[in-house]
Amino acid sequence: MRISKMRYFFPIGTFLFLFLDGSLSHLFAPSFFTSSTSVESRLILLWLVLGICYGKVDHLLAWSAVAGLFFDLFYTGVLGIFTLLLPFMVYLTRNIVTFFNRSFIVVLLIYLIDITILTTLFYWVNALIGFTSASAVTFIARTLGPTLAYNLAGYVILYWPLKIFFEKFS
Amino acid sequence: MQKFSFNKRLVVTMIILIIGFLLIAFSISVRNNRKAPIFVQQIGNEAGGIVDRVVGVPINGLGHASDSVKGLYNTYTENKKLKKEVDTIATQKVENQTLKNENKHLKQQLKLNETLSSYSKINAVVLSRTPSSWQDQVVINKGAVAGVKKNDPVVSRKGLVGRVTEVNQTNSKIELLSTSNDSANRFAVRLKGKDGTVINGLITGYSTSKNQLIMGQITSKEKISKGAQITTSGMGGITPQGLLVGKVVRAANDDEGLPAKVYIKPAADFNDLDVVTVARRVD
Repeated sequence: MRISKMRYFFPIGTFLFLFLDGSLSHLFAPSFFTSSTSVESRLILLWLVLGICYGKVDHLLAWSAVAGLFFDLFYTGVLGIFTLLLPFMVYLTRNIVTFFNRSFIVVLLIYLIDITILTTLFYWVNALIGFTSASAVTFIARTLGPTLAYNLAGYVILYWPLKIFFEKFS
Repeated sequence: MQKFSFNKRLVVTMIILIIGFLLIAFSISVRNNRKAPIFVQQIGNEAGGIVDRVVGVPINGLGHASDSVKGLYNTYTENKKLKKEVDTIATQKVENQTLKNENKHLKQQLKLNETLSSYSKINAVVLSRTPSSWQDQVVINKGAVAGVKKNDPVVSRKGLVGRVTEVNQTNSKIELLSTSNDSANRFAVRLKGKDGTVINGLITGYSTSKNQLIMGQITSKEKISKGAQITTSGMGGITPQGLLVGKVVRAANDDEGLPAKVYIKPAADFNDLDVVTVARRVD
């Protein structure tokens, strides 16, 4: 039996996208974090969602937990948030995807729903542990809206390259 | 049978959730109390730092390239302006030098070896920023090896930007002043009132919508003039004295006539950090 190359490419890609999020946030910080907008780059989720939809990846759930753990370790210093949220998103997406056929628009909608859920849960956890005191209205206007817009743009740019990549190597 | 498997799944979910909450509680207590994160956490951070450098360097390189193209357009006019300023800087430098020497001699005469304002500098490059609206955090490329300690203040070229919250061997995390974290360590600051008296206070918060820092816990009834410079006061034992924080925008009085809140325009831009300096107090 041929060993799938995805076994090596998937973890590499996971970490690439994980740290790409941080680098892009740093590079575009003047336009990402202003008084009226606050964009959360979630390209890691795009990688995972497209991996679910178009790739045959072993241990995807485990890799998403590892990626979440590294997110917590390296970016926030508060363990346990993304370590649980990312596998949860993968689990959710897997279940949603079984009901639909996979086209550009459908996957886009699934991705946007995922972003909404993830961003909202992340806000909720941070409000719970006292890292933010922003109201729900501020959250929707300042964070959720711009985050959806940015990740939508990321999806449009990266959809075709990633789809071809996943279909070729698995 | 169906019922049994449902129960099993529920139990597993509950256990995972409990472990998650325990992890969160544990790491927050580490963050607030302990000097350094535990061993396992450190290994993860070192590995993260190395991979992040591999990913970040080309990305930041691209960013700098586009910046340099932009810079090329402005160079000519800027050069003209700067030429005029260079002359004044030279005289200022000499003056600065003499004052520094004089200060040193006076300190020697008074047998004051260290004052609140002396600090050592550790320069660091910003690696990446937390992709999150709630943690205003950046990661820098210097850690315990270079002498960074937890709670050290961090300044950019223009002014105070934040405080070190976690130190690993080769990288550390900085919480910016723009955070709204309840348990963030606050800076003790001071400014000169209208008649020259010193007014002490604390940075108690940040207004995101106006990009203004809020100074509270004010000790004096003196009138505060707009545009007065706010610096760190050196009280509290960790922060050196005299790091620039910003300028007063307005002072809001409370019912008893005390200035309850002073709104400050920060000198540093928290969203445009490339190189920062960790100011380690010497004493």
